[in-house]
Amino acid sequence: MLRMPEPDQNTLARRKDIITAMRDIIPSPGGVIVDDDQLRPYECDGLMAYRQLPMIVVLPENTQQVADILKYCHTNKIRVVPRGAGTGLSGGALPMADAITISMMKFNRVLDIDWDNRAAVVQPGVTNLGITRAVEHEGFYYAPDPSSQIACSIGGNIAENSGGVHCLKYGLTTNNVLGVEMVTIEGEILRIGGKGLDQAGYDLLGIITGSEGLLGIVTEVTVRILRKPETARALLLGFNSSEEGGNCVAAIIAAGIIPGGLEMMDAPAIKATEEFVQAGYPLDVEALLLVELDGPLVEVDYLIERVGKIAKDCGAVYSRISESEEERLLFWSGRKNAFPAIGRISPDYMCMDGTIPRGRLSEVLTGMQNLSKQHGLGVANVFHAGDGNLHPLIMFDANKPGDLEKAEAFGADILKLCVGVGGVLSGEHGIGVEKRDLMGEMFTTDDMKHQERIKMAFDEGQLLNPGKVFPTLHGCGELKTLHAKAVADKFPDIPRF
Amino acid sequence: MVDVLSPTTPEQLRDAVGWALGSETPLEIIGSGSKRAFGHAVKTNAVLDCSKLSGILFYEPEELVISAHAGTPLADIKTTLAEKNQQFHFEPGNLPALLNGATGADLGTIGGLVACNVAGPRRIKVGSARDHVLGFEAVSGRGEDFKSGGRVMKNVTGFDLSKLMSGSFGTLGVMHTVTLKVMPCDETSATVIVTCSDPRAAGKAMTLAMRSENEVSAAAWIAPEDASHLDVPLTGEYGSGLVVLRLEGPKPSVAWRAEALCRALDGFGECHEVPEAHSQRIWHVVADVAPFKASANKNSLLWRVSVPPASGGEVCARLMAQTGGRAMMDWAGGLIWLQVSATDAPDAMAGSIRDIAADAGGQADLVRASDEIRETVPVFHAENAALAQINARIKENFDPKGILNPGRLMPGHQSGEGA
Repeated sequence: MLRMPEPDQNTLARRKDIITAMRDIIPSPGGVIVDDDQLRPYECDGLMAYRQLPMIVVLPENTQQVADILKYCHTNKIRVVPRGAGTGLSGGALPMADAITISMMKFNRVLDIDWDNRAAVVQPGVTNLGITRAVEHEGFYYAPDPSSQIACSIGGNIAENSGGVHCLKYGLTTNNVLGVEMVTIEGEILRIGGKGLDQAGYDLLGIITGSEGLLGIVTEVTVRILRKPETARALLLGFNSSEEGGNCVAAIIAAGIIPGGLEMMDAPAIKATEEFVQAGYPLDVEALLLVELDGPLVEVDYLIERVGKIAKDCGAVYSRISESEEERLLFWSGRKNAFPAIGRISPDYMCMDGTIPRGRLSEVLTGMQNLSKQHGLGVANVFHAGDGNLHPLIMFDANKPGDLEKAEAFGADILKLCVGVGGVLSGEHGIGVEKRDLMGEMFTTDDMKHQERIKMAFDEGQLLNPGKVFPTLHGCGELKTLHAKAVADKFPDIPRF
Repeated sequence: MVDVLSPTTPEQLRDAVGWALGSETPLEIIGSGSKRAFGHAVKTNAVLDCSKLSGILFYEPEELVISAHAGTPLADIKTTLAEKNQQFHFEPGNLPALLNGATGADLGTIGGLVACNVAGPRRIKVGSARDHVLGFEAVSGRGEDFKSGGRVMKNVTGFDLSKLMSGSFGTLGVMHTVTLKVMPCDETSATVIVTCSDPRAAGKAMTLAMRSENEVSAAAWIAPEDASHLDVPLTGEYGSGLVVLRLEGPKPSVAWRAEALCRALDGFGECHEVPEAHSQRIWHVVADVAPFKASANKNSLLWRVSVPPASGGEVCARLMAQTGGRAMMDWAGGLIWLQVSATDAPDAMAGSIRDIAADAGGQADLVRASDEIRETVPVFHAENAALAQINARIKENFDPKGILNPGRLMPGHQSGEGA
């Protein structure tokens, strides 16, 4: 079971004083939430297996309030859990009994759209899709598109370095963020990056993106916006085995074609989604590829023909090209509804998020089938085939005693399998609490300690989002000590000139 | 007498750093040494030469990934990628020729490329080296092995230390292995050329091109006196400055977009389209900053000014007027190369160049200057005090004894003493 840091009794005893202090900082009604029934909606994020009522929730309205809150927390050694829209799937916003949850959802304004620099400056509570909505009338959009894009906030996207289905061609959040304003736990307001492409000093923007709320609270974001491609068309390709499907993906890329989207589903996922949304998917194939090409019309028409031919050579037994925008969206509707479709056939499901080298796909899928038998739970797979990001959906029934534990053990085994073939624990959902205790599968203690030394540079007192990402956070004293074994007292026996 | 340590394995590298740590001997870290003149001169009695930590570990074209020891020559890697019609999308140019007049085949090492976060003309579309590093293995200034990332494109497992190492100039750790994303070369490319001598107008033309839906992958401006480097057959009078805009992709797409782009830029100047072979030569010139290469520009200083792209034309014009220097723009105006005379007072000039850059929300780095000038003029733009404090803490946490490239980022700055 998940262990979180013990609540600090001293903080809990001071709850009344803390509430008063917070109300001084945020005078607006509703800015400080203290009643249990109003705290309830904040008790979990998208990882609903874990719940905890926060001590207090605050909803600051401007950067100065965030700075004042954090300075107070720093001075009084109070833990802080930052929160965006609460859609995260790894429990990064899981509250703590002795911590203030800071919701950033009142930061919901688009501040500046700079068409000439192709940049948008927004507050962190603006939704991912909200950015595209704000710029699409001029033919622009924001590229990363996590499946929660209608609800998730750009601040949360930065915390998790969110991806989506277009990462192979357009990158993750980290490749599309130009700058942030961030408040440190000491209440210092930092500006990092901006509309230019370089920043002075170390790449702090790169470190902050994906840091899961452990380094500071982002209060403003500058993102790159792109011209929307003139058109997009999709192909559905069916194969008799996932291996053939995987080979087709490799052949498309080897031909120098980088599709905008490149998704794959296995037979259980195809069946569940087809029953749910009737996207017209073939039910007699073992693997279904969804390939989307975007760009100028003339380019898309040209490439779609080439991909069609490659697929034929790779043994596709089913091939359909979208002939209209409606049909393209229909093709996507199946893939985009894969999670709820599984939710329809199974009382509960758990979504995993490993990434693997694409070439190892069939090996991993076979391994997963074996694990499925071993754990006695079903699994369906959707796969961002272009970038190797797997989403196995483990089906279980939380009301059945022992099923959740079985699902968690199955999930952990899948992630170990991913790491074993050269992959990673998380492609886009983050570590949070969900995969925290598996970090050792990928990293040595020294690897993790070097990451923790970044944490120490921003938040020495470990007040920001405790219990997340790292299985154990070492104390600063230990992190600062030089290890005797690393220090050599004699000249090394290596070539010298 | 300078000791040169040349480890041939990661274990030997760790031993070398461990010895430096134990004896508190600061190390200058080099690959091939090709970018040694970039940054402040590191004055140590020991050099850690990583060029023997060399060799490609794996290259899987279908997975779009290559992994190599940090000392592997970039030229070798480029050749290997080209055999499979692939490339580094961030398009590193020939920095050794720009920095120190090297004329040989040495383009530096893959580790040096990452450590300096190199980027070429395609940066406006695909970013710099940091956007393509998937993972690394290194020894930190604590003498400990550490790694981050991996070999897959999509990875959010733990803090992204690959970004931190990119552009850290060897001051936090010594990388021995790096893994990068590669991309296929496009089917074809073409360049649209517009005659345009005024940098302000050139900036406007580039901004317009980037705002269009023609997926311009690189946009640069060459001043009239340097335009001959591009070898463009103009129908009109030679001697005009040139805006060059690159289009890449499948053939029918490039042809269609080139036509659309010429139509959109009608009014800025005479418009030409040059085909692939010539287009490639043009972008080599831009990536290498060939007009300003060291061998042809003795007694000059080279500045690299980075600003929001749309302000580039204005900033470029101001910099030229203020310094009397020569300039070239890349990244649609986001990057201005400014070459000024070394005989003018470098301190005062640095101040005015940095003021102009900062006014526009940008920054300026002194890329090429003598050791003496770099002793008095900071090479890198100073981050503000709050960021400097965090940077100093990171440096101290990774290299508490200040043994890795002391002073490279800041003159006279020894690690552990704060910023």
